[in-house]
Formats: sequence, C-alpha cells, structure tokens
Amino acid sequence: MRRTTASVLTLFVLILFSYFNPTYCQNNSNGNARGSRVSLPAKPTLPLSLPLKEGSVRFAVIGDTGSGTDKQQQVADTMLQYRAAFPFEFVLMMGDNLYGSENPDDYRKKFANVYQKLLDNKVKFYAALGNHDQPNERFYENFNMNGKEYYRFTKGNVAFYALNSNYMDKKQLKWLEDELAKDTSAWKVTFFHHPPYSSARKHGSDKQIRQVLEPLFVRYGVNLVLTGHDHVYERIKPQKGIYYFVSGAGGQLRPGDVKQGSALTDKAFDQDMHFMLFEVVGDQLYFQVISRTGQTVDAGVLPNQKKKK
Amino acid sequence: MCCSAAIRLPAAVTAQKKVVEQIAEATQPSISPADKEAIKRFEERVKQYVKLRESVKAKVPKLSKGSTPEQIAAFEKASIEALRAARAGARPGDVFKPDVAGFIRTTMKSEFKPGEKKEIRKVVLEKETNIPVPLKVNYPYPDPKEYVEMPATLLLKLPQLPKQVKYRYVGHNLILVDTDNNLIIDYMLDALP
Repeated sequence: MRRTTASVLTLFVLILFSYFNPTYCQNNSNGNARGSRVSLPAKPTLPLSLPLKEGSVRFAVIGDTGSGTDKQQQVADTMLQYRAAFPFEFVLMMGDNLYGSENPDDYRKKFANVYQKLLDNKVKFYAALGNHDQPNERFYENFNMNGKEYYRFTKGNVAFYALNSNYMDKKQLKWLEDELAKDTSAWKVTFFHHPPYSSARKHGSDKQIRQVLEPLFVRYGVNLVLTGHDHVYERIKPQKGIYYFVSGAGGQLRPGDVKQGSALTDKAFDQDMHFMLFEVVGDQLYFQVISRTGQTVDAGVLPNQKKKK
Repeated sequence: MCCSAAIRLPAAVTAQKKVVEQIAEATQPSISPADKEAIKRFEERVKQYVKLRESVKAKVPKLSKGSTPEQIAAFEKASIEALRAARAGARPGDVFKPDVAGFIRTTMKSEFKPGEKKEIRKVVLEKETNIPVPLKVNYPYPDPKEYVEMPATLLLKLPQLPKQVKYRYVGHNLILVDTDNNLIIDYMLDALP
C-alpha cells in the first residue's frame, strides 16, 4: 500500500516537474535552443502565441524607451500592428522613459508622438522611474503615476506594483510590504528599472536591490518581476520560484551584451529592440516577445506558482 | 557580506515579524549616544528645510496628478527660482554639519569593507553619461541628468529622510537634493572612502 502511494506520489511529482520546467516554454519560430541568442530572419511575420481568451488581462511591456529615435518609433509601430491582433489594454514602462533633457518638447519627441496612435486608442501607459528619469515625471498625465514614485493598481485578478529602484528606502520597502501583506490577488506583478537578475555585461544583476526585495517577494508570493536597465531581452530561469524578465530594449540596444552561456538565462535576445506582450488567463501567464521588425523571439506560458504547491 | 550575499537575518525571527524590520535590524550599525544626538540635530535641520520649501511651494503653481509637460516645466522653474531666493544665504555644510558628517563617513566606511567595495562601488560610481555635476549649494543638478542608484542597504543605515529630500551620489561625494526640483541643498565631499 505504502509502495503504491509512493509510486503515485513520484509520478505526480514527475508530471508536475515536466509541466513547470522552463522547457515547457515554447522556443521561437527559428527553433533556437534554450538559452541561445536569436538571429533575425529576413521577413517579418505577425504570428500570435497568445490565447486571446475572453476576460483575460492583456498588457504590453516596454523598457528603456525614451531615446526619440527612429528605431524607438519602429518598435512602437510594430506594437500598434500587434494591437490589431492582440488588443492589449495598457503598457508597463520599465523606466528610462526620457533620456537626456526633459523639456516639453522632449516629452513629445521621446514619448507622446512615438506612441500617439496607441494613446489615441485609449491605451494607458503605467511608468516606473529609471536612472535617467526626473522624479517629476510622476506628475505627467500620460504616465499614470498619480504623483507617486511607487504605486499599485489592479486589473482583473492581477495586482501591479511599480517601484522606484533608484531609491529603495525604508519608506518604500515598508509600503511595499504592507501592500503585499494584504494583497489577495491571484497574480502579483512588480515592475521597476534595475534587474535583480541579469546576464548582461553592461550592468548585470543588481545585487543590492535583490538583497532587499527578494525576501519580500518570496515571503508574500510575488509571481512575476519585470525590469529594464540592461538594453536587451532576457528571460531568467525562475529564481526561488519567481519569474524574472529583463526588457530594456524598447528604444535602446546593446547588441551582443548578454553573456553567452550564463547560468541565469532561459532565453536571451540582444540583436534588436523588442517589446513584450502578456496575457493572464486564470492561473496561466502567457507571454510573447516581439522584435522591432515583428519577429517573435520568445513565447510561452507560465503557471501560477500557487498552483505548484 | 554587504552586497554579494544575502543579508543574514536573525535565526530566531518569527514568521510574523515584518521582513523590512528584519532587514533593517540586520543591517543597522551600532550608533553611539553622541551619534544619536548628531542624527537628531541633522533630522531637525532637514525638517527646517522641508518647512521652508513647503512654504515656498505654496506660492508657486501646483502640479496636479495629471500634469502636462508645460505645467511640469513651469512648476520646476518657478519652484527653483523661489527656493533659491528663499535660501540665498545657504552655505555648504549648513545641513551636513561636521558631527553628522562624521557619522555618515563612518557608516560608509563600514559599508565599504574590504572585499565588498567592488560591488557597491559598481553601483555608486556607475555612470552611462559623462555630464559633470558642479557641486554648488542652491544650484540645480544639471540637465541632461543621470541619477546614480542609491544602494538600498546603505539607505537603511543612513539617517532617514522625508520624501521631499533625497541622498544622491556624485562620484565620491554625497549630496542632498530636493525631490521636486533637483536643487542641491547641501553636499559632503569624499563621503565614499
């Protein structure tokens, strides 16, 4: 009897492992192996790897955008194209929303003009502050920060926490802990600028920020952490059960910056700019990463960690 | 270890105890009675600054939660001008007086222990742009700007500031800036050992 129970348990654990193992995530259309970089094909395509379920929470993610360059505009144009197929409701910004000066013209050139058509379509942008952002961006109407350097909002069964990783002081940490402690949302998503885990050469993992945030994320069941700063895309292998993404190439790029063979990397892309699309359907989180030219460079589905236990 | 390893939390902490409190306790330096007094006086000087800036702020156009870029620019310009006029006589060391500066330097020194310097220096000294920041009290931090991330564990150790004021590193120097307009309130040279 005991042996039977043990066998059933073992089988159950194996099924769970195979289901939750990161390899469950699909590889890109080029068929690149897990952990490898992706090279672009000549022709852009518009394949959608998201289920488009009724009542789901749909959003896009961009990071390190505010350069005001043609390439930032091209990323925005591709986002718009994809929105026709995948009507995302809002966009999370990982910081460095405006590089350089921040005069009224800069707000237009580096943000409003670039995303004008999305704004016209009532897509809301929710910003976090990066190391190039003046704190007064928190008052800007289109960043929806409501005058706060860190804030929370909810959509469906998902709670979003925008944090200011430039200045993670005790006040902010206490606020985060108080909010997380009473949060009963099925999904808890934090987004901020400096990545606790990153395989990029330029900045890499921010161990200072990890040191203070990770214990909170673990204690209070944060599911997903989205960051920028490094101008690449990287899907990190789950750390202490938490999903981490670096998405810092919405308007800047450091080609070849991801360390080959990094133990942290599940998938990386550093050959072009990109944006991300997410869809939360019940206890499943679907994602798709799309390059400036419309190529899908990563996609997959991640289960809610609570269901794992 | 300061930066590359996890903070060692007390073994006997209960599950009920807040994580932030545990982290703060684990990172808190020992503070002498004299330092406690110096910190208290420093916090009082910061409060006086905040009181002044709030009275000045009341006289300039307010920012709403959904402001236009023009409104933000107008607010910054007006608040800088008004605050500079109100603090025309401000001098270096008015806020970072020698007593608290001594405590801060000692705290930095303990934070930047041998073997731990590389990681934290990477955070503090890292810059992407090379715009010089002139250290002048009552002058704004230059635009285009880049802000160095303040290491979180260091922020837990330094005297706590109200939301209107922030610490910031400029090279090896520590400055105190106004959150809303980037005016340099005061600075400390060679704060980083």
